[in-house]
Amino acid sequence: MSPLLFGRRTIRALTTTRAPDTSGGRSLWQDARGRFVRNRAAMASLAILCVLVLFVLFGDFLAAWSNEEIDWAMLGNVAEEGGPLFANGHYFGVDELGRDLYARTVQGTGISLMVGVLGALVSMVVGTLYGAVAGYLGGAVDNVMMRIVDVLMAIPYMFVLIVFMVVFGRSILMLFVGIGLISWLDMARIARGQTLSIKNRDFVEAAVAIGVRPGRIILRHIIPNLLGVVVVYATLLVPSMIIYESFISFLGLGVQEPDTSLGALIRDGASQMQYGTLWQLLFPLSFFVTTLFAFFFVGDGLRDAVDPRDR
Amino acid sequence: MIYYIARRLAVAVPTLLILIIVSYVLMYAAPGGPFETERTLPPEVMANLQHKYGLDQPLVVQIWRYVVSIVTEFDFGPSFQYTDQTVNDIIRQGFPVTLTYGAWSFLVAILAGASLGIAAAVCHNTILDYLCVGISVGAQVLPNFVLAPVLTLVFTLWLAWLPGGGWQGGHWPYVILPVIALSTSFMASIARMTRSSMLEALNADFIRTARAKGLPMRRIVIRHALKPTMLPVISYLGPTFVGMITGSVVIDVFFATGGIGQFFVNSALNRDYPVIMGITILAGALTIAFNLVVDLLYAWLDPRIRY
Repeated sequence: MSPLLFGRRTIRALTTTRAPDTSGGRSLWQDARGRFVRNRAAMASLAILCVLVLFVLFGDFLAAWSNEEIDWAMLGNVAEEGGPLFANGHYFGVDELGRDLYARTVQGTGISLMVGVLGALVSMVVGTLYGAVAGYLGGAVDNVMMRIVDVLMAIPYMFVLIVFMVVFGRSILMLFVGIGLISWLDMARIARGQTLSIKNRDFVEAAVAIGVRPGRIILRHIIPNLLGVVVVYATLLVPSMIIYESFISFLGLGVQEPDTSLGALIRDGASQMQYGTLWQLLFPLSFFVTTLFAFFFVGDGLRDAVDPRDR
Repeated sequence: MIYYIARRLAVAVPTLLILIIVSYVLMYAAPGGPFETERTLPPEVMANLQHKYGLDQPLVVQIWRYVVSIVTEFDFGPSFQYTDQTVNDIIRQGFPVTLTYGAWSFLVAILAGASLGIAAAVCHNTILDYLCVGISVGAQVLPNFVLAPVLTLVFTLWLAWLPGGGWQGGHWPYVILPVIALSTSFMASIARMTRSSMLEALNADFIRTARAKGLPMRRIVIRHALKPTMLPVISYLGPTFVGMITGSVVIDVFFATGGIGQFFVNSALNRDYPVIMGITILAGALTIAFNLVVDLLYAWLDPRIRY
């Protein structure tokens, strides 16, 4: 057993102080990451989001029942026996038709998360392209494009979205498309504002000077520089996407059985609550609230980290 | 100013037209007509029905007729589902209900939100401030369709203080829960905005001057800081209004108040096109008109804005 010349702590102190000091100043992104990591609420929310994603991906393996299967033993006496119980495999109880609420919550959370993320992605792609083109081309094109955005913004989007769903059939795909197509308007304004400040910078002028075509400048030079702001805003957009989807599902106009989403589960739970089956409301509700909280805090944390002026 | 109003109207009218045309085209393109039931109708009956409602005409003619009847007679046509009622009847029946609790919610959201925000800013970094921030963060994740069941659970099922639905001609116990459910999230946003803009205003130089010359705090807040504080809040009234119109659909459905949203969802489920379109257009027209009013109010209040 070799004697330790130095205590553990001293060794650690030596190694850390002697670590090569590579930085000649830290980059913008390192600063941002530091600020984000120090933000406890955001880090905790990020962890919660990871758990939720794992829950959605692997929750089905723990389920004793599938989301469509009806437990006939429960049917008719859901209020007395359908409560959450580990023994019979219904961890969250059963819904009013005797289907396992745990499996349905896994599926509903999955659909809500998916709609949120994909809706934000659609609006990010469409909005960024639209805003960057309008901002870069400027002049009459910009004027017309942004007036169109103004006009569309004055329309009560939720009604139009419901009309959309009624006309084209209620499916998850339609929800994605409809929600994404409505929410790109804000994104377009933000991207345009950023583009206006980027397009007079030297590297863009250099690109113009060597004869790069406008389409290529927008794609290769403008958009990469927009991405930071746009991604942050998209994170903040995810919870509103989830709220839109749940709003529509709550009205019974969203996803259709046997598929479900948190909004539909909340509606089902709410319609049954006078019979004392409160677990049907409270489980989906707490998942919904947790998901939204987590996304809001992560989004806020990202915004504070990337854009510290705004605090 | 008059030029500005004219220009805004010049945008508003085409917006409404676009809304009408788009929704009509969407409805026209929809698979499955309004008369498709479980029983297959004889083709002659179907043709007669189509003819009676003008659905056998070309699309352009249909749209033209529709727009003309709205503009000249304010007539949105008959309902397909309730054959004895027109869309106007339905709107006349449901709109007062929605308007009643909508107006209350609007007032509550503004007054309570602004007071809470101002109090929080004046008592910055005290319990009251933290309470305000806590409420506004919490209310972000409680949209109306989450709040409504929770409120009903607590105040109807557990405490049995208030009825959990119905309208009864607007008797006050029936109004309270819809108003709270609809107004809370907007109240929270208004409180948050008021708080941050009041904090900004209180740090401004002219407030320091007012303090230096010894004005009491109450007077500083009311006479000097309030006006710049409320400007961003006023610009938020437009989105609040849109949000409330949208939210009223949930309130109507959940509390069964018999408002316009209940008809909207029923018609959406039954493909009752004229009703859906009538309500969508009504909502659009209200939104556009309200945004115009807010912009004018803003221009009137803020002398720095010139058009």
